[in-house]
Amino acid sequence: MSAWEVAEERARAAIGRPEHRDLGVVRAEDAAEFARSAGETGPQLVDPGHPDFTVHPMYLVSLLRGAGGAGQDEFRPDGMYRDEVPGTDGLDVRLMAGGQEVRFTGEVRAGDRIRVRRVLTDVERKGSGTPFLLLTVEKTYTAERGTLVRVRERFIVR
Amino acid sequence: MRVLTGQPVPPVEFTPDAVTLLRFGAVTRNAHRIHYDTGFARSEGLDGPVVMAQLHGCLMHRAARSFAGPGGRVLEVGWQNRAPALAGERLVVSGTVGEVDAETGRVTLELVEHGGQGDVVCCRGTAVVLMG
Repeated sequence: MSAWEVAEERARAAIGRPEHRDLGVVRAEDAAEFARSAGETGPQLVDPGHPDFTVHPMYLVSLLRGAGGAGQDEFRPDGMYRDEVPGTDGLDVRLMAGGQEVRFTGEVRAGDRIRVRRVLTDVERKGSGTPFLLLTVEKTYTAERGTLVRVRERFIVR
Repeated sequence: MRVLTGQPVPPVEFTPDAVTLLRFGAVTRNAHRIHYDTGFARSEGLDGPVVMAQLHGCLMHRAARSFAGPGGRVLEVGWQNRAPALAGERLVVSGTVGEVDAETGRVTLELVEHGGQGDVVCCRGTAVVLMG
């Protein structure tokens, strides 16, 4: 069985199994640097001292880990986290992002402690010449006061 | 402001260079080597380091937010990555109004992001906004 087929088998077995991740506390300085690095210039997004400072709505859904980072043993040789793309840990497969659908249900605030629930919901074989796997992961980002963002994210595995 | 189906979404643009990608990767804790390691990116069949999917999403969001105007809100944004964009490429998101729900005020935008020499579709997506 090829690495790609192993990834598919593993991923199918993981469908519907929820995972939980703690992204830690949202820091205004990090959100501001995120906004600057995304090309934003509005002071309400890039200046944490601005009276109307707002955490960029895309900040949370772009985070792969919180401020605590990760240990060396949490990375694949390609630099991706071992647990980011279901079924691929330890396998020599190529990973690419396929896109996201993001629904904002609340405003993220500095100081919010964010938890993410991730569930793999679909595994599809795609492509005619060189086939690839399309994995769909649904994510829910919550703070103490409720759900802030819902995301459907797709990963490509070749 | 009255919004009509077919109305253009004014373009927004961004040229993320290698430094941008490093900063964006650092603050999002994204260490995937396709974004900064040229040799590795080429070993994966890419022409060089590529822009993060989330950064494409940020430009989509900016286009939607700009269209919604002051006091407006982006309720949803989504995109599909169609082709990679290399560090240093100028990215432009433009689009049209696809649907206007007079009852709820929700305006759906059809968005596209072009890269390369303006001839490559890097992403297609949609956004739902409430106008300010």
